Amino acid sequence: MHLLLVGISHRTAPVELRERLDFQAPGLQSAVRALASRGSTREAVVVSTCNRAELYVACDEPTVARVDLLNFISEFHSIDRSVVQPHVYEFADLDAARHLFRVAAGLDSLVVGEPQILGQVKDAHLAAAEVHASGAVLNRLFHASFATGKRVRTETGLGSGAVSISFAAVALARKIFGDLKGRNVLVIGAGEMGKLTALHMKSQGVNRITIVSRTMAHAARTAEAIGGASAAPWDEIDTTLGAADILITATGAASPILTKGHIESVMRPRRNRPLFIIDIAVPRDVEATAGEIEQVFLYNIDDLQTTVRVNLARRTSEVSRAEAIVGEEVEKFSAWLRSRGAIPTVVALRQRFENIRRSELERLEFKLSSLPPEARTRVDEITRLIVEKLLLTPTEQLKSLTDADTVGAYSEALTRLFGLGGQTGSVAEDANRKVEPFIRRADRSTISDSLDRRSNKG
Amino acid sequence: MNAIPLALYGAALVAYVWHFARRQPNVGRAATTLLVAGALAHTFVIGMQTMEVGHVPVTNASSAISTFVWLLALAYLYTEMTTDERAMGTFILPLAVALQTIPAVQPGIEDRADVLQGPLFGIHVSSLLFAYASFALACVIGITYVLLFKEIKAKHLGFFYARLPSLQVLDSMNHRATVVGWIFLTIGLVVGAVWASQAPNHDPRVQAMSLQDPKIFVAIICWAVYSFEVFAARRIGWGGRRAAYLSAIGFAIVLLNFVPISYFLTNSHNF
Repeated sequence: MHLLLVGISHRTAPVELRERLDFQAPGLQSAVRALASRGSTREAVVVSTCNRAELYVACDEPTVARVDLLNFISEFHSIDRSVVQPHVYEFADLDAARHLFRVAAGLDSLVVGEPQILGQVKDAHLAAAEVHASGAVLNRLFHASFATGKRVRTETGLGSGAVSISFAAVALARKIFGDLKGRNVLVIGAGEMGKLTALHMKSQGVNRITIVSRTMAHAARTAEAIGGASAAPWDEIDTTLGAADILITATGAASPILTKGHIESVMRPRRNRPLFIIDIAVPRDVEATAGEIEQVFLYNIDDLQTTVRVNLARRTSEVSRAEAIVGEEVEKFSAWLRSRGAIPTVVALRQRFENIRRSELERLEFKLSSLPPEARTRVDEITRLIVEKLLLTPTEQLKSLTDADTVGAYSEALTRLFGLGGQTGSVAEDANRKVEPFIRRADRSTISDSLDRRSNKG
Repeated sequence: MNAIPLALYGAALVAYVWHFARRQPNVGRAATTLLVAGALAHTFVIGMQTMEVGHVPVTNASSAISTFVWLLALAYLYTEMTTDERAMGTFILPLAVALQTIPAVQPGIEDRADVLQGPLFGIHVSSLLFAYASFALACVIGITYVLLFKEIKAKHLGFFYARLPSLQVLDSMNHRATVVGWIFLTIGLVVGAVWASQAPNHDPRVQAMSLQDPKIFVAIICWAVYSFEVFAARRIGWGGRRAAYLSAIGFAIVLLNFVPISYFLTNSHNF
């Protein structure tokens, strides 16, 4: 069993191509169902966001699957193969796992550390799980990626700090006021930037947003665009400012519209209730010295830009810690993958013992038939328990193996000692199908081969 | 015996500082666990002493400090549990560790003077100790408020910005701790005055109980400062940073009264 990833992302493909390869519009589930129904893969998950389209599959023949996945992309989106091919990247086995963990952690994102990607990866897995396209290997892989994403978010500062102007303003407001619910926002100026910042504030559940503009009609239009906001005439600035906690100024005025004296006179009746002023106008709308007033926090567009830059730099400095976490999680996943090498042997061994028990009971049938039914049930039960007890320790030992060489050696020894390779093969295959659907065609030699290759590589 | 809680508080302090700097969640949990262990050990120590002498050990300065540290640890743990905010531990625990060193190094002899019998004395001392613990919390919260305030004002969003809760939360925590402290300070002072007026007058220490005694005088100043903070400050726009400064000044006076004056200056409270 091999892991294979074929995909494109913002690193390899321009936006025009990414748009055409979007799997979300036609529906992730239909895409993943179509992919899973192709013979080349055993399990499949499709991750599709505006910055990436990636196919994660578990397969037996990576060389075959690789070609088929590319065909699938071009067929599904009706794009010529040759257009897609130059932009595609591929990763196999642990490299694929590492890539997914980095994606989930936000390390591969356009804005490093952005939080949405983890949710998108979860959605991708959910869509695949709902149509039963993902199985034991990909389920484990994706759950490990969620754990990685969560660890990176809680243990490093990779996702901390706002990296856009409007988010930086919201983050500051939250640091001053705590919860923004119940706070009043006043926006002076009906421009795009003011509207955007007000929208971010609105998403934080502020109590009231008031728009003031020199032209009442502009104010009303912007208020309507924000939704739930109200407009007020220009000469009511002072009264609305008295009730406001957050002031956003974004007018095109050539000189400051609010002086220090003006703000001071507003602050007095407020009894120094904090006022957070976000002056995103250029030239500035609020006199810079107004920031000296007690309980007035004045930030202009450059200040916000500086915090954004600082945050971006801080995120970059956290990358190595995040990469270390990714490395640890890849190692854990790799150990799990290796321990799976013993499963076919375990199943075959149990099957072998069970067959012996059954055949011995059948051989003694003529002697047992004279016993009362309860006694026969007891015999059956006792023999089953003996087999279970004999196999308990070997099973546990085999399942705890993580080293590929040891798994190979043990499997080899058991196969020879108990003759697992020969006549029980078909029975073992049946059992495999029941236990682990995806290894039904994989016999032990190919699995141990692949494990050997993997361990050589690692 | 006070050394065991001291060691645990010390270990908790290291963990809190480490957690504050590196923000690793498991270190934070370890810090809280260590502090809880310290507080439990301290409870045990105080419980043992109570059983030994038949009352809560508060009648000499060292044991009163130990009981104060215990109350401070409990008050802080309560704040941490209710706000889910560990940052303050970094600022509270240095105080707890420093003060706990006194009873650990110099355990006082718990010898209750005859005049100190009766329930009024117990109420007097325990309310004041609880008030002081609240003021200690308010002071530390006030200091962190100022640190964060300065960062936001100066537009250098750095170390404290990333680690402390919002100004609003710090301000209301400061206010709440001050109000609780003020209530207990008032109860403690009133009960103390009532007790002094009833106490047998032959003891020279009881005779020294007047406004001229430094301990009593400073306690009254303290009460005046906190009364101003609780009732007047916010009405004249002294919220936020100024209230935080008041909390810090108030607690500096409390600490002055609690340690040097108790040990060296007072004529009335040296039991």
